Amino acid sequence: MSKKDQIDQILNELRTALPELKEIIVATPDGLPVAHVGGGDVATRLAAMAATAQGLGRRIAVTTQLGNLEEIVIRGDQAYFIVYAIGDRGILGLTTPAGSNLGLVRLEAQEYAKKLAEII
Amino acid sequence: MEPLKIIVTGPVGVGKSTLIRTLSETEVVDTDAKSTQEIGKPTTTVALDHGTLRLGEHLLHLFGTPGQERFDFMWDVLSEGALGILLMVRADRPDTLSAARRILDFITSRAPAPHVVGVSHLDQPEVWQPEEIALFLNEPPERVVAFDPRDPRDAVRPLARLLELIAP
Repeated sequence: MSKKDQIDQILNELRTALPELKEIIVATPDGLPVAHVGGGDVATRLAAMAATAQGLGRRIAVTTQLGNLEEIVIRGDQAYFIVYAIGDRGILGLTTPAGSNLGLVRLEAQEYAKKLAEII
Repeated sequence: MEPLKIIVTGPVGVGKSTLIRTLSETEVVDTDAKSTQEIGKPTTTVALDHGTLRLGEHLLHLFGTPGQERFDFMWDVLSEGALGILLMVRADRPDTLSAARRILDFITSRAPAPHVVGVSHLDQPEVWQPEEIALFLNEPPERVVAFDPRDPRDAVRPLARLLELIAP
């Protein structure tokens, strides 16, 4: 199975584990889309924005002495956009509706980020 | 006196982050990520660079943008309230001048501020001269300034020209 197929498979598993997820994006650290599950033609934009959030988040974490950046949560009144690092080689971004169980989303997303890190 | 917000922009690899590192008198905020494309350097800016510089009686806040078009939402975010724009272009990469023009048009459509074009990499073997670049970009020649973003004395020249336009 190609790398891309393996990544797609993991994203589909994540989507099965958390069916409420609207978009799942895997991006390179410099903001190019690697894989996307979800509706609409948003992969390019989400990948770039995930990279920007990650880059800025890392910098804020350092400047304000938060330690290593673990996650970024952007909360709108209708949904969340959450970003995790996939090791230092990629970024995982998710959107999930307001009212989602964030604790569960965090647990699953971190686990899947680890799985992705083994492939990417 | 109010600090002046200056946008430093231009295509990828032109030296925007380098310029801000060269000039800033305060600790630079940068947001580099490892590049996965062949862009001639190992890292690329994904959000912004920020530095400050005192020039005469003015305090300049320099905001560097990402160069790649997929980050155009950051051009939008950063250009809010800008009082001046420095567009950087490479003399040895005339193929990137159209992209540079697009960035400038994008930003000036949101922040109608004066701009200057800074031309770097003139020490390379095959280059376009600043006058040729001015002609291509349809800019008055006096707004196109040759400079070396690595050299603290030289790097300040296009900003000094920009200040003449903002606060004559």
